[in-house]
Amino acid sequence: MAFPHRPDAPELPDFSMLKRLARDQLIYLLEQLPGKKDLFIEADLMSPLDRIANVSILKQHEVDKLYKVENKPAVSSSEQLCFLVRPRIKNMRYVASLVNADKLAGRTRKYKVIFSPQKFHACEMVLEEEGVYGDVSCDEWAFSLLPLDVDLLSMELPEFFRDYFLEGDQRWINTVAQALHLLSTLYGPFPNCYGIGRCTKMSYELWRKLEEEEDGETKGRRPEIGHVFLLDRDVDFVTALCSQVVYEGLVDDTFRVKCGSVDFGPEVTSSDRSLKVLLNAEDKVFNEIRNEHFSNVFGFLSQKARNLQAQYDRRRGMDIKQMKNFVSQELKGLKQEHRLLSVHIGACESIMKKKTKQDFQELIKTEHALLEGFNIRESTSYIEEHIDRQGSPIESLRLMCLLSITENGLIPKDYRSLKTQYLQSYGPEHLLTFSNLRRAGLLTEQAPGDTLTAVESKVSKLVTDKAAGKITDAFSSLAKRSNFRAISKKLNLIPRVDGEYDLKVPRDMAYVFSGAYVPLSCRLIEQVLERRSWQGLDEVVRLLNCNELAFTDVTKEDKASSESLRLIMVVFLGGCTFSEISALRFLGREKGYRFIFLTTAVTNSARLMEAMSEVKA
Amino acid sequence: MDCYTANWNPLGDSAFYRKYELYSMDWDLKEELRDCLVAAAPYGGPIALLRNPWRKEKAASVRPVLEIYSASGLPLASLLWKSGPVVSLGWSAEEELLCVQEDGVVLVYGLHGDFRRHFSMGNEVLQNRVLDARIFHTEFGSGVAILTGAHRFTLSANVGDLKLRRMPEVPGLQSAPSCWTTLCQDRVAHILLAVGPDLYLLDHAACSAVTPPGLAPGVSSFLQMAVSFTYRHLALFTDTGYIWMGTASLKEKLCEFNCNIRAPPKQMVWCSRPRSKERAVVVAWERRLMVVGDAPESIQFVLDEDSYLVPELDGVRIFSRSTHEFLHEVPVASEEIFKIASMAPGALLLEAQKEYEKESQKADEYLREIQELGQLTQAVQQCIEAAGHEHRPDMQKSLLRAASFGKCFLDRFPPDSFVRMCQDLRVLNAIRDYHIGIPLTYSQYKQLTIQVLLDRLVLRRLYPLAIQICEYLRLPEVQGVSRILAHWACYKVQQKDVSDEDVARAINQKLGDTPGVSYSDIAARAYGCGRTELAIKLLEYEPRSGEQVPLLLKMKRSKLALSKAIESGDTDLVFTVLLHLKNELNRGDFFMTLRNQPMALSLYRQFCKHQELETLKDLYNQDDNHQELGSFHIRASYAAEERIEGRVAALQSAADAFYKAKNEFAAKATEDQMRLLRLQRRLEDELGGRFVDLSLHDTVTTLVLGGHSKRAEQLARDFRIPDKRLWWLKLTALADLEDWEELEKFSKSKKSPIGYLPFVEICMKQHNKYEAKKYASRVGPEQKVKALLLVGDVAQAADVAIEHRNEAELTLVLSHCTGATDAATADKIQRARAQAQKK
Repeated sequence: MAFPHRPDAPELPDFSMLKRLARDQLIYLLEQLPGKKDLFIEADLMSPLDRIANVSILKQHEVDKLYKVENKPAVSSSEQLCFLVRPRIKNMRYVASLVNADKLAGRTRKYKVIFSPQKFHACEMVLEEEGVYGDVSCDEWAFSLLPLDVDLLSMELPEFFRDYFLEGDQRWINTVAQALHLLSTLYGPFPNCYGIGRCTKMSYELWRKLEEEEDGETKGRRPEIGHVFLLDRDVDFVTALCSQVVYEGLVDDTFRVKCGSVDFGPEVTSSDRSLKVLLNAEDKVFNEIRNEHFSNVFGFLSQKARNLQAQYDRRRGMDIKQMKNFVSQELKGLKQEHRLLSVHIGACESIMKKKTKQDFQELIKTEHALLEGFNIRESTSYIEEHIDRQGSPIESLRLMCLLSITENGLIPKDYRSLKTQYLQSYGPEHLLTFSNLRRAGLLTEQAPGDTLTAVESKVSKLVTDKAAGKITDAFSSLAKRSNFRAISKKLNLIPRVDGEYDLKVPRDMAYVFSGAYVPLSCRLIEQVLERRSWQGLDEVVRLLNCNELAFTDVTKEDKASSESLRLIMVVFLGGCTFSEISALRFLGREKGYRFIFLTTAVTNSARLMEAMSEVKA
Repeated sequence: MDCYTANWNPLGDSAFYRKYELYSMDWDLKEELRDCLVAAAPYGGPIALLRNPWRKEKAASVRPVLEIYSASGLPLASLLWKSGPVVSLGWSAEEELLCVQEDGVVLVYGLHGDFRRHFSMGNEVLQNRVLDARIFHTEFGSGVAILTGAHRFTLSANVGDLKLRRMPEVPGLQSAPSCWTTLCQDRVAHILLAVGPDLYLLDHAACSAVTPPGLAPGVSSFLQMAVSFTYRHLALFTDTGYIWMGTASLKEKLCEFNCNIRAPPKQMVWCSRPRSKERAVVVAWERRLMVVGDAPESIQFVLDEDSYLVPELDGVRIFSRSTHEFLHEVPVASEEIFKIASMAPGALLLEAQKEYEKESQKADEYLREIQELGQLTQAVQQCIEAAGHEHRPDMQKSLLRAASFGKCFLDRFPPDSFVRMCQDLRVLNAIRDYHIGIPLTYSQYKQLTIQVLLDRLVLRRLYPLAIQICEYLRLPEVQGVSRILAHWACYKVQQKDVSDEDVARAINQKLGDTPGVSYSDIAARAYGCGRTELAIKLLEYEPRSGEQVPLLLKMKRSKLALSKAIESGDTDLVFTVLLHLKNELNRGDFFMTLRNQPMALSLYRQFCKHQELETLKDLYNQDDNHQELGSFHIRASYAAEERIEGRVAALQSAADAFYKAKNEFAAKATEDQMRLLRLQRRLEDELGGRFVDLSLHDTVTTLVLGGHSKRAEQLARDFRIPDKRLWWLKLTALADLEDWEELEKFSKSKKSPIGYLPFVEICMKQHNKYEAKKYASRVGPEQKVKALLLVGDVAQAADVAIEHRNEAELTLVLSHCTGATDAATADKIQRARAQAQKK
């Protein structure tokens, strides 16, 4: 099944260099502390670290024991302690408490903190305030780009989303700019750049500044990657909030892909052990189904199983020599494929169990209704019921946000009642969650002008709830049409379906959402690449509230080869979903492009909602 | 050419030494050299003179004058010496003049007599006074060695990074050593000293007596010692007029010489060339100069005047009141070419070229001769090399012309050596000029490197020449022109008689956007001279706002610094400024500043959230940000407070804040939560179990599960739980309890607001088909088919669907028809369909 690339599609650059660079730097840093040492690793860094340097490499460089940084006192007996952490204040307090405990016990050890990807002044401040700055040596491990796959680079910074889009904290922008700068020094300058969003703009400007300061190095080089497109997550929240139905996305939604690998529990492996599986292009079976709509996957897998059986069956009637050949050359490959196949079939079954239930279908139906903008009242009651029944809190929140964004905010009555229901179901601390969501623009109240709300609130005090609701509805119909709808119309995001959408042979990027919706982010990228600028998209940009924030920076001189011009890097600030990746991969196959994805982290609706949720400690 | 070798003096069989004039000096010396402390920097550096009034113990009241001249005798600076008695002068590698005072304080002056800094050589030196001092050069920089009145040595190997080292005592040393010197071996500085007939070597740890191998007997005292430029060789002059020459490690003797002069020499220095086998020492007395080496005879010169020797890498400079000369061993290439009757290829080539110019056919003969021997390449190389060692431009030219001529007859002679030599010579001739006065030889120039040479030109404020050299050599801008321009600008800002505007404009005009120029460095210099306004003006030209910040902070322009930091996009920088501001301003002003800078504010908030919660509260208070303040209290209500009373109080504060923020919804919700919390507490007291921190929904569920239906109802009423929710809740809870009886009772209590399909679903979830069927019959018509399918009654579902004539329902039922048992039903449906279509 899996569609092959067009024969003229360009080769992807080799990103394994990034891994080697990171590894060498880490080794260098470890060697800076000669002798045996214990390494304390922050939980979030463990998986990325594992992809760069495994335990045996660490041991080679005299790392004795490994500990996780957690809120427990450590029992290390080593004379040298090395901490590998993200630059977070929490971690600094952990280090400080350890050092101070040693001081009290009259013990002197060597401490080294390695910040990844960079150190922040605030962290050093905390060390200073805690009185241990002089005892600790600080270093930076500039490891900001992890190649998760041949076409996917992740910065592994899930907190980027909350830090920037909620807290307005711009500290990671520098990291992004540095990462882009690194890419341009390794893979040549990017001749054509496009972007949209505030964070994008700031990162881009900072990146340019870095390039200017160090110019000369990249100037003479031929560009390998012809285009780069930067995009803020808040330009398109809708896509990220939808349930994913492409296999890779579904696996992520169901089992949570972490740093390019997934832990399949006993329900998948049908044994009592869980299995960690690396999901990337090297997994031949996975590679063929990752971008498929889920409805095709099972059929494909069973076909594959039959083929495999046929391969095995060839054994029969072989003479000894052929058999020897078979065992030495093919059997291993077949066994490997067999193993992978059974894993994915297991995963499929497990997903089917969860997702083909009526609930899920209703959910998808509601989502599609929201995207298309009909039966809003029905969808609203569906959401309400979901909350009343104490369905997953994250799911409820997601639907509310989807409703809010597609409708340009909830009408005040719904806004209040849904929130009340939500608080009753899941606890009062979510009052803060709502405040977060409002700040991020994910869940807002329709504002038909402040005067109207004031009138309305007065009216609602006078009359019964029901009447008030009607009045509110009347008011809200006065409000302008939702931005999302307008954009959707302009960009034709909801494909008109004549008859059944054939998910086996996708026509457009909408297939990643069962043919109901073309991801906005991907459509924007498609349109801009076609025009090689934002020209003609002014209205869309205005509707996205990005008037000053969309830019095109195209170099006139044509040093780029036609091959490189079909290589496009898409940078998602705030995370991208597997559905978007699949959609763009599809677009690439159609147009003979290859896309490279750079994201602050791979995300999905649940991760976005969790980032906004307030949880009791 | 006969006269060319006239100034060549043979030493032994294999080497010639020549002495030629660099400059005729017309410095107007007021004093005799012998009355002065003299210091001349190596590599053609400047000369410092300080008439030494203290030594003569006469009119100490007369303040001496410190004078600095270029190597060509042009005055660079002259200043009245106002500090204490000076024992020794010396130049550092950076061409700074170090003046060692008797009290151990070392004053550092620039080339132009500008005072830079001072440092002390320690208390011990201060107490015992300085008897003698030496400035020496190592690979780390320039060092100072001091002999104190207590006959102890103190040294610092690098005055840039001052670490004083007190050397161990020499046992039984009663008087000052007759002579001493610093040695530098294995990157460590040692001191070699002579006391009577004995030699001692001092290192950090110990003092050891040493004996030079092969030293002639009868020595009762060493009068003078000299170390070579590279610290590799050592020469000792004894009271018997005997000179011992050997390696500095004192392991090997090279040669010896007896000059039969017992008077102590004024100076003795090595004169050798890198990579040469010849070793020679130049010894100077009052009126006599002698070059001695591994030969029975020495070369002797008469000195007409007081002279001073400056050892160089490849020779010795000798200057006096009227001349400045250079004495060195004739380099091999020159010797080969110019030696009388030389038949070396280079010599022949030079000859050939001369004949060619005379249009004589002899040119061809010579050329053939070289070519027959296949030595033309070598000849060209020789000529090029020899040109480099010539001081006079006319000689350089004729040698280069010869090389160029020879090149014509060579097929593939790489041109770069020739081109580079032409360029180098052009640079050398330019800097040797009388006005510039840096008499570098070719070897010295190569050793020094062009970068250092440029630095030295900059140090002499010869900016135009330096820029011309950069442009001529096409050096990259960052290393060359822009660096020099930056230096120029730093000098320019010190001109106090020019107005700020003019200086800033002049600098910007010259520098423009030259890459590699740091305006902030220049501004820092301007600020250093006390010109804050100028510094700010200059900073405006700095394109990297990140670079502006530290200086702005230093100049106490913190608010400007803050906006620049924000402009730079570097959050660390912003944070640095913030902390600075926090300490500098009072709290109110600080908050006000933050208020106008949202990016800084959010950064600081993030920090406070983790580190200073109280400050965060103050921040919100200051801003009248009641919404956030409310959120803050909410968070505190479950994160910081343990006791119910505390939590309720926190919630009350939150509710108040929400009211102020006109967020009635949040206020009401908070009040509800207060109520709930109190109630939960009561429930815990009365019923036991855990209620606190449960959501309203969960609280009611817990009550139902615990069999407290009444209470549950009451709570639902109190908190106005909508009917739908309550039904869902009870339904789920009762099914969980598997209390089917109660469930049925409940279902009949009134008409279900959520329909009866959920009842079917939940029973099936608990695998109770029996109960499910009970409710399936009560499900409304729209959902009937679904309900029947759920309980597995496909046949009846089909009937209902057919009755409804609903296509979607039919399809749904059909999809549930599996296996043989449902075959009949499937048939039925197909028939119904067909019928419907007919109609």
